Parts: sequence; C-alpha cells; structure tokens
Amino acid sequence: MTLTDFPAAIKLLSAGGVEFIVVGGIAATSHGSAHITYDLDIVYRRTPDNVDRLATTLAPIHPYLRGAPEGLPFRLDAGTITRGLNFTLQTSLGDLDLLGEVTGGGTYEHLAPETVTGTIDGVDFLCVSLRRLIVLKRAAGRPRDLNMVAELEALLEEQERTEKGPDGDRDASH
Amino acid sequence: MADERIVIEPDPVIEVFKKDIDRTLLRENLKLTPEERLRKMYAAARGALMLRAALQKNRS
Repeated sequence: MTLTDFPAAIKLLSAGGVEFIVVGGIAATSHGSAHITYDLDIVYRRTPDNVDRLATTLAPIHPYLRGAPEGLPFRLDAGTITRGLNFTLQTSLGDLDLLGEVTGGGTYEHLAPETVTGTIDGVDFLCVSLRRLIVLKRAAGRPRDLNMVAELEALLEEQERTEKGPDGDRDASH
Repeated sequence: MADERIVIEPDPVIEVFKKDIDRTLLRENLKLTPEERLRKMYAAARGALMLRAALQKNRS
C-alpha cells in the first residue's frame, strides 16, 4: 500500500489549470472525518480544453492503470481520457482516481454548485460539500462505506449543533 | 448556502452504525481548520505505513 502525496498532486493539478473537484476520502478528511485515506479521488471537467490540460499536467507523474500488468501500451493522453470516463491510476505521487462522472453526483458541472473551497500550502481547490459527499457515499452503496456514511452524518449533526447558538440562532461566524 | 438544499433523510441502517461513532474525535477535528485536518490525517497515514513496514521487517 502506498500513500498518495495529495498536497503535491493538488498543487500540480492547480498549477496546470485543471478544473477538478476533490471527492472521496480526502474530502471527508477536510470536513472532519477521522478515517485515514491513502488515495486521491477527483471529478474532472470533461471539456476538451480541460481534458488537454489534465493529460499534459499528469504526464510528468507517469500515470498508469492501477493493478494492470506492466508493459501495456497505455498512455493517458487527451484521446484516452475522452474515449474513457473514469480511471483508477497509479502515479509517481501515488494512487489517483480520475472521475468524469460520479454516482449520486453526476459530472463536474453538476457538482460545482455544491462545493466549498479548501486550501493546502496556499493553493485553493474545490472540495465537494459535506451534504453532497454523504449523498455520493450513500449512492455508491458499498458495505464498506456504511461506517463512513454514519461518521459523515454525525459530523453534519455536530456542525449544525455548533453553528446554533444557545437560543438556536446561527453563529455569525458561519 | 447551496449545500443546505440537499436533504439527508434518516436511514435506519446508518442510524445503527452512527451509535458506534466516536464523536469526541469528530469534535476535536472540527476545532481544526480543514487544512490542519488534512495535515493531521496525512501524518497519521504516514505513521501507519511506517509501523506496518517495521512490523513486516520484524516478521521476515
């Protein structure tokens, strides 16, 4: 098992001008989850320009199909991304999942209004909102996600409890 | 906030799992900024991998 250097990956994608939204375990951590995650999942925008930027930006970290035998004639260029949709990759920065569409959330354009801005090392990035993340995890329907969904819903309750003042008013800082 | 348009309906299975969630851990995480949470998890993940590697080395 490897740990993805997600700060470096996010900075690389941002520097390359790639439009993406962080989902999955890193998004959960950003919202307060105590789970440990080892890979980075992003939903990327499937416009031709963005697909070009994505392919160009990832080339230096040598993306390859995760779990596939070595030596396959695989190259993650714009054509490959356009012909495919979701890719589970290994890179020199660790595991990276590129999602053109995600169950329970749709495309980048569908998810974009339901994001918050995160920051790592001074670089801003879009992260899916807690409520949408819960919907995504529920929609995935994987038994191993049940505990994660329960934790995310508990986080939502805790956030709402904190945001309400003693009289039930919302704290002005949120 | 657009996020608040999403209604999370209670799910009886999830409610069962929710009983076992350590909320003290979540409350501590919520005191941190999102960036601090990411850094904390990253450090913990690195520590877990180092521990795993050390255990494997000792076994062999």
